[in-house]
Amino acid sequence: MSLAVQLAGLRLKNPLIAASGTFGYGVEYEGILDLSRLGGIVSKGLYLEPRDGCAVPRIVETPSGLLNAIGLQGVGIRAFVRDVLPRLDGYDTAVIVNVCGDTVEEYAEVARIAEAPGVDALEINISCPNVKKGGMAFGGDPRMTHEVVAAVRKATRLPVIPKLSPNVADVTVFARVCEEAGADALSCINTLLGLAVDVERRMPRLAFGTGGLSGPAIRPVAVRMAWQAARAVRIPVIGIGGIASAEDALEFLIAGCRAVQIGTAKFVDPGVYSRILAGLEDYLRRHGRESINDVVGSLRFPDAEETGGGGC
Amino acid sequence: MVATTSPRPPASRDVRLVARRPLQGPYLLLTFRHPEVAGRTRAGQFVMIKANTAADPLLRRPFSIMSVHPAEDTFTLFLKVVGSGTRALADLRSGETAGCLGPLGRPFPMPPEDHEALLVAGGYGIAPFVLFGDELRRAGRRARAFYGGRTSGDLQGHDPFTALGLPLACCTDDGSFGHHGRVTDAVEAYLDTRPGAVTLYACGPDAMLHAAARLAERRNVPAQVSLDPWMGCGVGTCLGCVVRIQRADEPRGKYRCACTEGPVFDARDVVWAGEGSSRARREAAAVLR
Repeated sequence: MSLAVQLAGLRLKNPLIAASGTFGYGVEYEGILDLSRLGGIVSKGLYLEPRDGCAVPRIVETPSGLLNAIGLQGVGIRAFVRDVLPRLDGYDTAVIVNVCGDTVEEYAEVARIAEAPGVDALEINISCPNVKKGGMAFGGDPRMTHEVVAAVRKATRLPVIPKLSPNVADVTVFARVCEEAGADALSCINTLLGLAVDVERRMPRLAFGTGGLSGPAIRPVAVRMAWQAARAVRIPVIGIGGIASAEDALEFLIAGCRAVQIGTAKFVDPGVYSRILAGLEDYLRRHGRESINDVVGSLRFPDAEETGGGGC
Repeated sequence: MVATTSPRPPASRDVRLVARRPLQGPYLLLTFRHPEVAGRTRAGQFVMIKANTAADPLLRRPFSIMSVHPAEDTFTLFLKVVGSGTRALADLRSGETAGCLGPLGRPFPMPPEDHEALLVAGGYGIAPFVLFGDELRRAGRRARAFYGGRTSGDLQGHDPFTALGLPLACCTDDGSFGHHGRVTDAVEAYLDTRPGAVTLYACGPDAMLHAAARLAERRNVPAQVSLDPWMGCGVGTCLGCVVRIQRADEPRGKYRCACTEGPVFDARDVVWAGEGSSRARREAAAVLR
């Protein structure tokens, strides 16, 4: 029985990847969980220079969800390559760098520096809702999306994985634009733009105002968008959004995702990866499948006969 | 800076509730079995804990560790029910489990040998001082506590603390128990008696911490404050719990994780909302002189 998957030229030992912005730079979880059990890890978003991030408060809990406006506080790509990468060397897991920029040129420059020994792929952050420049501003405009992805494509030989925003009317437009611009895979989705109001003070609960919603609250939206994207392109899709169990991960895989990322659930339980891996193996056993790839894209919709006809 | 765990990383476990002792009002004591927390915790450290696996409320909550019992592999939390997360913990029955990660964070540093430790607690901020009082007592240090609440019912940590045999002065806003007034006023009155060298430690609501920091600055007394911002992960990855801290060699403050670089910080370095750090103000004043 095999959980291994092929993705953008990478072979991952299993389809579970730690999501950007929820796993620090990986080393924070040394000793708490075994990094080598993960198929891959995605770094916190990295710019050329260190960033301060948003004012506080930065997080607020909402029903079954977490609304955040961290604002990509980070150490910068050079410090990551110099200080962190060597420490990840001993772990048998794919290292994916999340590339950020205020400008197209900055994305390309970060991508060039990120192409260091030990880095396996680049995820392009064109979907952070919590920065004034870059982020979602690029990922919400097909022309800018194309420009950023093409620039990073040109700057690196590493696999390029744009991370798409859910805060668009039609995600398939952006999925196709990324494929045309040379992307090797897609991450779907980033957080959903939200607003929580402190009614006593009549002010937003987050200092930034709006924030990005993650957690189980967004899962059906995320599964739907990942499914749409997977049908729209030939490159593989990595599903993200509210995964906390093997069943949640399977929803994305069955809907057509080659792999999944897990974020917020790890805050709740750092042991979530082991639980999901065990659950995936159990699922393959119960369904008599040899490989997790047999499950990918196996979603079928009932035909009219099964539903009794009529439709909606 | 990249946060990293100490050579002894925290342990994530499902922990069994072994004892539950309701106190008055919304307060109670919960004792869980967790060998690493019981064996390694130093005062001021905390656990992230959640009563069940339900999606709502979603996150674990941070709690200071009130006491540890290494022989039994257990630790005790002092809980005030304030919302759905604490409610779920309070509703646990003996034998039921919770998800728990710990011990986490930077503990209270010991005071210099010739200093008396003044422990300033507001409400459930008494919790870490029960463990710290015990550490100080075992180390042969002098210590006393000042414990404030809105009303007598809020001083439910009174008995666990006095069991240590250390002096405790209670204060209530409504005068229903102990001194009538704010806990920081009681600390100031004690400083007026010229007690010799002291180090101040504070844990409680933000307004009280800020008042304690101002008092320490005014009286030129070293102080450590234990901050309690909203926290997501407890290990420095979500960057949700950051506080602005300005150390001696820094021209401006930096956001630092309360979970990994705190929750205990030198009060001089804390940049309070709308005010800046006392260190920065002093240095600016020195430049002007």
